[in-house]
Amino acid sequence: MIDSLGKVEGTNATIGQIAKALNEAAGLLRGPQRVVPLIQKLVSDKIRVTFEQKHLYSYTTTKRSSTETLNLLLRWIRDAQRPDGGIAAYYSLLSGYSESYPEVTGYIIPTLYDFARMTGERSAVTSAEAATRWLLSLQMPTGAFPGGLHGSAQQASVFNTGQILQGLVRAHAETNRPEILKAALAAGEWLVHMQQPDGSWSGPGAYQDASHTYYSMVAWALAELSEQAADHQFGIAAERHLDWVLSHFRASGWVDGINLRGHPNYLHFIAYVLQGVLECGILRKRTDAIEAVAKPAWILLRKFETHKFLSGAFEADFRSSGYFTCLTGNAQMSCVWLRLFEMTDDLRYLNAALKMNEMLKQMIPLRGRAGIAGGVSGSSPVWGRYQPLRYISWGAKFFADALLLEERLKASFEARMLTTLPCAS
Amino acid sequence: MRIVILSSSLYSETACAMAVRMAQLGHVPAGVLALRTLDRATLLRKLGQWGLSGVANYTRAKLIPHHSGSQLQIRNSYLQPFLKNGSGAFRSMHEVAVFYAFPVSTCHNQNSAAAIARLKTWSPDVIIFAGGNILRQPLLDVPRLGVLNVHLALLPRIRGMSSPEWSLLKNVPVGITIHYMDAGLDTGPILGRYDLPENTQCASLSDLRDRLIAFGVEKIAEVITGLDQGTISAKPQSDLHRDNQFFVMHEWLQDRAEERLAKTRAANQVGALHG
Repeated sequence: MIDSLGKVEGTNATIGQIAKALNEAAGLLRGPQRVVPLIQKLVSDKIRVTFEQKHLYSYTTTKRSSTETLNLLLRWIRDAQRPDGGIAAYYSLLSGYSESYPEVTGYIIPTLYDFARMTGERSAVTSAEAATRWLLSLQMPTGAFPGGLHGSAQQASVFNTGQILQGLVRAHAETNRPEILKAALAAGEWLVHMQQPDGSWSGPGAYQDASHTYYSMVAWALAELSEQAADHQFGIAAERHLDWVLSHFRASGWVDGINLRGHPNYLHFIAYVLQGVLECGILRKRTDAIEAVAKPAWILLRKFETHKFLSGAFEADFRSSGYFTCLTGNAQMSCVWLRLFEMTDDLRYLNAALKMNEMLKQMIPLRGRAGIAGGVSGSSPVWGRYQPLRYISWGAKFFADALLLEERLKASFEARMLTTLPCAS
Repeated sequence: MRIVILSSSLYSETACAMAVRMAQLGHVPAGVLALRTLDRATLLRKLGQWGLSGVANYTRAKLIPHHSGSQLQIRNSYLQPFLKNGSGAFRSMHEVAVFYAFPVSTCHNQNSAAAIARLKTWSPDVIIFAGGNILRQPLLDVPRLGVLNVHLALLPRIRGMSSPEWSLLKNVPVGITIHYMDAGLDTGPILGRYDLPENTQCASLSDLRDRLIAFGVEKIAEVITGLDQGTISAKPQSDLHRDNQFFVMHEWLQDRAEERLAKTRAANQVGALHG
């Protein structure tokens, strides 16, 4: 997610950012009850950063189970959901909950259904259905969905439409309701209509009017729609974008073209590129895409295993450029590693994901008011550059995805071990 | 053959056993360089790693040797043949050094200028790495022949950490490799690869590690003899282009490796019954 204010460029952007920061800080005056939790979080992160020690032979562990953590994450998501079904983008330690965010409300739907499937928790299905109803009410006549927070200027957004499409495709798979399929097809057709001849999306509807390789997430959604609707045009559009993104992979593993003016290459966006290419590659049976993702994923795995930490932002060729870590990006990398384990059987991916999930579990507050307990902060420490002083809904979504995937793959690995013959001496 | 041993601490059973074995072969070490284990930096690092109770246990273990009744206890029972000393056992490198008359030095960092200067005064032909820091090139350049390492898996298939556990999970035969160290991780030329003969009898992962360590002490003695007599030579590793590095194994996977070990043991017992 990029804040809509980031769209203003140059001096205006700086003024806009300052105004936004002041407005958020003024939230403390409107809600003085937030002062104590803010100070608590700042102090606890300061203490942790001061005493954090990393060692070659260690990784952090916790006694918290995945089930307990998943329940916390899902409770956070449900607390962030409004009665109309929309889910807030974030809970700010300064200003409380934000407005609902259509993009995240959309792609959180598969997470809710996966959680319900694993736990039998009916409330997750209710949440997913409410989210779907709300999204259907927002669709524009063109089939597009608006960018930004609910209530902001209604401007059609390619990326947000793609992310919401993921949710619609899953909602249709779960419910078989024709109006959901109709909405998904309209969204898909708009995306195909907006695609450039080279396979990218740029110009109106694209963030900062420019093309971005992290729109591979849109390609993933189109590939899913192609399968769900049995309509090849969406699969072809997905592969056209996939080819365009793959042309931006350097031999070093670095991916060019994230292309966010005014923002560093946050791990969140790097992981978006990798997730989108990997999932689209899996759906379209493109081994070249899976192999292309394996290289940067391995570079990041080595960094994480060696330093017990992934920087929150990177410069070209994976030079670390941040003192903080981006928890959402970490959770996304855990998902990428787990899926690569599933594709390649290389246990080192599973090993890294298990450790990453252990580390993330410890970052989730067990107690606190709604918006804090079970929340995933943008950065660690909480004042880091990515979404500072906020618990973000897409962080909860990706970490829940990582834990759900971990549980599924652990179960299948154990089942396979039962049938594998031991090594002869 | 002038041999120097690098150790992770003065109390490392493995390093003590290696020193004893070398001395038994007639190669009394020219010196042993051990890391100081109770210095402030180490304790602070471990405080962050393990917490206060972990550091208290660590300190107690370092200061008070293991006793079982009146008998001094050796943690790795497979090292007993090397560490036995009359009715007791060597409990630190200082005791081994006094017995065999060789010098022992301690340092904060084996790569430091002072540590390297000390190593040079011993003019080693070979340094045996029995634990400590990741070694940098200036240290690797000190011995005439090179720095030897016992890697607890068969190279080049499994490099890096938790190597016996990874061997089990990857269905690779369990064994050790003795190789020269270079700037890479477990990428140096190989002097010998040895399958662990009693692999299927291991009671646990910790038992497997203990056996491999003792096996390594025995085999490195053979390698030193071979180097001394000029009967063995090192061969470069074959697939250096492949990234075979493994990292510390997560507990959940360790449990699966333990299960595989138990399965191997059970299968072997059934095989023996029907054999």
